[in-house]
Amino acid sequence: MSSSSRVRTAPGRSSVRITVMRVLVVSLFATLALRLWTLQVLQSDHYQSAANDNRVREAITPAPRGLIVDDAGRTVASNRTTLVVSVDRSILDRQKDKGAAVLTRLAGALGLQPLELVARTRLCSAKVPQPCWNGSPYQPIPVATDVSPQKALSIIEDPDQFPGVSADTQAIRTYPFGALAGHEVGYVGPISQAELDKSPDRTRTDTVGLGGLEQQYDNVLRGRNGVKKLAVDRFGRVSGVDSSTDPTVGDTVVLGTDMKVQKALQDALSGALAHSTGKADSGVVLDATNGQVVAMASLPGYDPSEFVGGISQANYDQLTNPDAGTPLFSRAYQGSGAVGSTFKPFSLIAAVTKQGQSLDANYDCSPSLQVGSQAFHNFEGSSAGPISLHQAIVISCDVIFDKFAYDAWLSDGGLRNGKGPYAPAQEIFVNNARQFGFGSQTGIDLPGETAGAIVDRAQNVHNYNQLKASYCRRAKDGYPEVKDPTQAAQFQKYAQEACTDGNLYNGGAATQFAIGQGAYLNISPLQLAVGYAAIANGGTVYEPRVAKAILNPDGSVKQVIKPVVKSKVNIDPTVLDYVKNALGDVTISGTAAGAFAGFPLQQIHVGGKTGTAEVQNQGDTSWFVSMGPLPNPKYIVLMSIPNAGQGAKTAAPAARQVWEAIYGIGQPAAVPNGQTPTKLPAIRADGSAAPPRRAP
Amino acid sequence: MSSQGLSGLPGLRSAPSLRDRAAQARSERRGAIIRSIDWLLILSTLALCGLGSLLVYSATKQSQIDHQLDPMAFFKRSLMNVAIGLVLGLVVAAVDYQYLRAYAPVLYVASLVGLAAVLLIGSTINGARSWIVLPAGFQLQPSEFAKVALVVGMAMILGEKRDDSRFGVTSAPRTRDVLLVLLVAALPLGLIMLQPDFGTTMVFVFVILGVIACSGAPVRWVVGMITAGVLAGWAVLGMHLLKPYQEARLTQFASSNTANAGSTGYNVDQAMTANAHGGIFGRGLFSGSQTQGQFVPENKTDFVFTVAGEELGFIGACGILVLLTIILWRALSIARASEDTFGLLVAVGIAVWFSFQAFINVGMTLGIMPVTGLPLPFVSYGGSAMFANLIAIGLLQNVYRRSR
Repeated sequence: MSSSSRVRTAPGRSSVRITVMRVLVVSLFATLALRLWTLQVLQSDHYQSAANDNRVREAITPAPRGLIVDDAGRTVASNRTTLVVSVDRSILDRQKDKGAAVLTRLAGALGLQPLELVARTRLCSAKVPQPCWNGSPYQPIPVATDVSPQKALSIIEDPDQFPGVSADTQAIRTYPFGALAGHEVGYVGPISQAELDKSPDRTRTDTVGLGGLEQQYDNVLRGRNGVKKLAVDRFGRVSGVDSSTDPTVGDTVVLGTDMKVQKALQDALSGALAHSTGKADSGVVLDATNGQVVAMASLPGYDPSEFVGGISQANYDQLTNPDAGTPLFSRAYQGSGAVGSTFKPFSLIAAVTKQGQSLDANYDCSPSLQVGSQAFHNFEGSSAGPISLHQAIVISCDVIFDKFAYDAWLSDGGLRNGKGPYAPAQEIFVNNARQFGFGSQTGIDLPGETAGAIVDRAQNVHNYNQLKASYCRRAKDGYPEVKDPTQAAQFQKYAQEACTDGNLYNGGAATQFAIGQGAYLNISPLQLAVGYAAIANGGTVYEPRVAKAILNPDGSVKQVIKPVVKSKVNIDPTVLDYVKNALGDVTISGTAAGAFAGFPLQQIHVGGKTGTAEVQNQGDTSWFVSMGPLPNPKYIVLMSIPNAGQGAKTAAPAARQVWEAIYGIGQPAAVPNGQTPTKLPAIRADGSAAPPRRAP
Repeated sequence: MSSQGLSGLPGLRSAPSLRDRAAQARSERRGAIIRSIDWLLILSTLALCGLGSLLVYSATKQSQIDHQLDPMAFFKRSLMNVAIGLVLGLVVAAVDYQYLRAYAPVLYVASLVGLAAVLLIGSTINGARSWIVLPAGFQLQPSEFAKVALVVGMAMILGEKRDDSRFGVTSAPRTRDVLLVLLVAALPLGLIMLQPDFGTTMVFVFVILGVIACSGAPVRWVVGMITAGVLAGWAVLGMHLLKPYQEARLTQFASSNTANAGSTGYNVDQAMTANAHGGIFGRGLFSGSQTQGQFVPENKTDFVFTVAGEELGFIGACGILVLLTIILWRALSIARASEDTFGLLVAVGIAVWFSFQAFINVGMTLGIMPVTGLPLPFVSYGGSAMFANLIAIGLLQNVYRRSR
């Protein structure tokens, strides 16, 4: 640089400022490099997942739901493919008229009512009642199943006319046996938002079991959805498959239930309804040796197919309508009530084992027993004089058991409304009932079973404390909403009694308890069958099981559902044998002798107990619980027919029909030699079920 | 020098013939030309341009294939832009130094005409009326050329030799000169603000500030202008003088993670994700899922740095930063070595222009600078910007040649 140029420029100032600029430039770019390092190295994990979220979309291939087959390999629930037309709400909402025109056209094409279609495709909310779509707004709403291919084609080939409408094949659940064992099989439906939030491994399009076995065994039936991870670009276009897992078919649930016995049971139940004043009834066939539910039914029932593809509101209303018998509700394990004289065997056991009554003594079966101001009469006031406990069961004498219970109540201190002090109450009848599983859930593999109720002194006080306020209000205000003035007055009287001394353990009710009547016991048919099974098998209270095994899709055994012992009653076997003996004579010379007249009791000795439960403001419930063949019973057959009068008249003949079907009396046997298969059904290569192989 | 050294050793060589002398003279001239080239500057520029074209290629390849177009179309056009730019730069570098000053007013007026034209007949892209659409698919962005004109124009005014009573002949500008240059700069600045092109406005503001600061102008001017700039920035944001989308872009970078596609937050999120996805060594050219999946919007222009970030990783991205730093370092060296204030100020103006623009551009893809729509010099796809950038390199080379 020449000296003259130095003179001409303004070197000092500029030179310093250029140096400052150099520092600035370098520090700016160093900042960038530092930031790069932070992003690319230090925070790379965080952005790695963001990058994957960006470019990977999951496409779900639904897993075919597993089969439900009965013990003989008959298909109870399977899948079939159908053409389903669905509507995408999110696309419809982008239309100017929110899709009204599209839905009208679609209704025309499918032969549906336009208004109904609009209603079914609107989104449910607090203000929008059923019918409406309860699923996600982004999930296509199925509006028609089993659409003919021609119709479906005409719709999807015209996307301008039908934006947001799609037609595709879907596997839908099918129930070949229809309403047979409907309550037990249960039903499926679209997954709810709550369920979805709970289980992150599920997807919006999943179908889930919502009742019965479909719900109970959902986790094995549902299989595993196939997931295709698709690499996509910003526009959602697929550029490749990142990874892919095929769907896994759900496992097969094998039932201990036999659909032929089930059919016999339901036929007997509907026959009983046809020949009596009853409107609804239920029955249980239990394997007494292991707690397997061989058949269980409650009429009126429902066909699970009604729920496939979404149930209409009208149908759902019908299923929950009390006037129609609440078909959705299974009386067999969800309902409970008084069981009448079928409870006497348990009272006998309590009296003999805990009260010191003798199996060899005779007791006076007088016409009536006076308890305070109340007189308890024998059934129709009959008198049999001094008889053994055996005979008391056979002819179903009430007074003997009433007396036992009354004495027990007295020795427990009666009402205990005095000064005391009282020794701790033994409550032998209540505690004995509990031993046999009454008052608690049986533990059956079905959702929603009732626990029933066994009310002891403590429970009574507890109930009273909870209801006292309501009793006392009703005692004062009465029941203005009850139309019948006599009934309203009666209710008010009860309320007044309950308000003043509802905390006291009622001697009348305690006495009634021993003969299966009154307010202190509520037992479900299933609970009663389990209790009888314990008598039959020597004291084992099983948790009943509808399913007996789970098979892998290839037919191999994944899990054998072994009998689960809930408890063992600690009772001298001679007492149980005594009871079985007595039950054996009921069908020969006792209350059920008429019903079993002509039945080959010599070959298949079925014993049982009739019961006639009194129900407030209703007709009696006709009960019959039977076991056979004695002396080592295989099955318990129970019938409960409300509003149908005496047990001997309606329930016992119906039970006899089931016994005849099982053992093939006058017809082919429902199960060969009266034995349900011990081997598991096989699964064929095509995935369908085959009968169990014969034992070699 | 070398020929002298050789001839100073008699006996080792025979006396040179006439023909040898002629060859020697040619070689000397060639040597002079070769020596008069700032190789570091030129090679860095060429490397950056070549890398930029590859990145543009990678950014556009998949989209071109999707639309069944020539996958290399943008690569070819980018290379063509570089070639045209190099010719323009060569012409500028070869022009006599004295003519540069002489042409400065012409360039200035031409850029004013261009900026006025764009407001009248320009097309609006991304909210700013910055482009003049020419036939045959060409677009012109006058504001890019205006940057060159601004630098040369300011250098001309502030580099005038002046008489000073105290220091004799000096070129340190007086208040009068600073006011004049502010007026001269205000015209194109105003036109750009009308487009409105916030990014280029800021480039102008910083170039004006930098050039005046290095011109030897009194300190009070430098401090005063910085203070005024800060106050103006505060006022602009505080009083909402910007259009909402501009304000959103400016403030968004501080709070990103808005997953709204199309919004500024989305752009920045995608850009940061793509950058971070590269890690240290990158995913390999043409192999970045974010780039090839076209998740980063505008990644052949404003967000081209993300392609480097994802596919070339920290190593490659830093390579770009290093090349840019070399160019800027050279520009400032040339400024310091300039034989006159005009050359110094041209080089300083260009250095401020590039450094500000590069910092904002890269910073925005890293989430530390607002989204302003400025291209990355030499790398982003775009003819006007590439031409202006290479013309600026030509200017630097011209100044360098004269500083010897």
